[in-house]
Amino acid sequence: MKLEVKNVRKSFSYTEILHGISFSVESGKALGLLGRNGAGKTTTIRIIMNLFNANSGDILLDGQKFVAGNYQIGYLPEERGLYPKKKVLEQLIYLGQLRGLSNKEAKENTLYWLKRLGVEEYKNKKLETLSKGNQQKVQLAETFICNPEIIILDEPFSGLDPVNSQILKEIIRELINDNKLLIFSSHQMNYVEEFCEEIALINKGEIVLTGNLKEIKRKYGMNRLTIKEVNLSPDKLEEIFIDDLRDIAKVVDRKKDYLIIELLEDKTKNDLFNAVVKLNLDIENFSVYEPTLEDIFVKKVGDS
Amino acid sequence: MKDFFTVLKFELMGFLKNKTFLISTIIICVLLIVGLSIPTIKDTFFDSEKDTGEDSVDSDDIYGYINRDESLINIKDLEESFFVGKLVEYENQEKLEKDINSGEIEAGYIIETPTKYRYIIKNNEMLDSNRTFFEEALMRAYRMSGFKQLGIEYSEVEGLISPNMEYDTDILGKDSSSNYLYTYILVFVLYFMIIIYGQLVATSVASEKSNRTMEVLVTSTDSSNLIFGKVIGGALAGIIQVGLVILISMTTYNLNADAWDNKLDFVFKIPSEVLLTFSIFGILGYLFYTFIFGTLGALVSRTEDVSSSSTPITIIFIGVFGAAMMGMYNTESMVLKVTSFIPFSSFMSMFVRVSMGTVSTIEIIISLVILTVSTVLIGILASKIYRMATLMYGNPIKLKNAFKLIRKK
Repeated sequence: MKLEVKNVRKSFSYTEILHGISFSVESGKALGLLGRNGAGKTTTIRIIMNLFNANSGDILLDGQKFVAGNYQIGYLPEERGLYPKKKVLEQLIYLGQLRGLSNKEAKENTLYWLKRLGVEEYKNKKLETLSKGNQQKVQLAETFICNPEIIILDEPFSGLDPVNSQILKEIIRELINDNKLLIFSSHQMNYVEEFCEEIALINKGEIVLTGNLKEIKRKYGMNRLTIKEVNLSPDKLEEIFIDDLRDIAKVVDRKKDYLIIELLEDKTKNDLFNAVVKLNLDIENFSVYEPTLEDIFVKKVGDS
Repeated sequence: MKDFFTVLKFELMGFLKNKTFLISTIIICVLLIVGLSIPTIKDTFFDSEKDTGEDSVDSDDIYGYINRDESLINIKDLEESFFVGKLVEYENQEKLEKDINSGEIEAGYIIETPTKYRYIIKNNEMLDSNRTFFEEALMRAYRMSGFKQLGIEYSEVEGLISPNMEYDTDILGKDSSSNYLYTYILVFVLYFMIIIYGQLVATSVASEKSNRTMEVLVTSTDSSNLIFGKVIGGALAGIIQVGLVILISMTTYNLNADAWDNKLDFVFKIPSEVLLTFSIFGILGYLFYTFIFGTLGALVSRTEDVSSSSTPITIIFIGVFGAAMMGMYNTESMVLKVTSFIPFSSFMSMFVRVSMGTVSTIEIIISLVILTVSTVLIGILASKIYRMATLMYGNPIKLKNAFKLIRKK
């Protein structure tokens, strides 16, 4: 399956919020939808879920118009919400039935997911009596009970402690291995890096970066290298670059005890390597720089 | 359709499993069963007391009098004409007042002349009729003595002045006077049902919005399944509760009718066509208003805002109730006739006309069709507003703006 969001525009009260959002995601891959608060991630997700109608643009699944109601979608909304005064099992069976499961299937799936998420013991408790983290896990169980083919998780890790985050990570990995189509919105870049092959970075209602994460990283790391010398401090090493290597590369950043340098136009890694060897520097590390997603994120949307 | 029944079952069970709902229904039913069985219980277990029953109640009370200067000569006639208790003669005022103060006797009368007396009582109460009864007895004694002096037998005169008139009534239309009470009760039942359950449905919708369940729900099924299931589920809960109360009270009364000497027939012997009209118009009107209340619940984000948002419709509803109540005194009034065709009021006004007045079948059908179509339209509109208002949080949405947004969509 391939889900495509094409040039989606949305206005609220005559103010355009989304200015032509486009990205795509395929089964067996996870797409990380990134962006600062208020960038338009949740609005985009709500349009995919048909909670809002887009003013223009298309949502296509395998080239056909996508109607959310026709598919089993595991949707974890940003605004978590279940019935606080109803028992956990009772309401999950109800919501499972609304998504087309029989009473028996709904019950079986609910019990499976409650057990899987470690909250089975609370099945006959009212939701409001559970801790916030456990309520979050019940909400996750609700998302998965209908064996969805498409999964949309809006900030799934918020409110989970490290142990519970680990459980959810395992589940997400399984879902990806099971060839599910997964869209994943988060502020926590480390999670996105862990799961997502593709990313779409939204800023102020516009896609500012989209594509394969590895390629993006490669592109952002292009012409950049990291270097570390055994006997010299980063300050001393930077001085050498300014004094002796300014025709080949320039220092752009410093991370802990190594430098990030950028090759000047028409210079290659070999040119720099040869120059460094000539200077008789004792090199401990000389490698291609791969930026973290956070670096890319900050670089793309940090100033806006 | 399957989802509609799933929602309906969930909402209905939510009401039926609710402890307040269960306990209040059980208490009302038990009270009705016990209350309506009291005469049978009394007859069965306290049979001997029946004979000493009501007659002795009045005559147990004692009243004192002083016939000052023997001004009334036929004292025996006075005593016999005083029906509410026993008249006892006192020698002096101090003793009379003392006994009144101690509560030994109910009240006292000092006869100054055959047409003038002083009434002595401990506390003068609002609904005290002892003076009137004494005055009537004194008047009768005065007349008896007067006619006697003229040589006329008083009983003959009395027979001429107040003869026992016999009459029969042939009612060609409806007997409003005997239908009044059960119509009144049923209109009241409808009023409370709509107010209580309407608010409950509105609160339930608003709470789904405030606890953010709405987003999960509308992405799981069609919004019309949700609003129709919710409203009809709430309506069914009300119908089950009220139906049970009516059924239990009518059955218990029928089983105990002999012990009641059929005294409450005017309340419980409701003709089947009246019950049928009540059920059809009542249920439709109830749904009509519950849809409106449900919509109003969707327009607010917090349950606290429900009552203020539902105030306008509550005022209209009270007006409708008032018109139906007024109409019960004159079933041919223009107001009742007009309101019996307006969907906001027809369920009550038409029921009053059918129950107490004369109305043609075609009028009933026209009113029913208008109400049915309006209820369906209101239901569809409610599901659209419900869907549109799903993710609109913040200040309550004005109905005018809601219509605008639907049109724009």
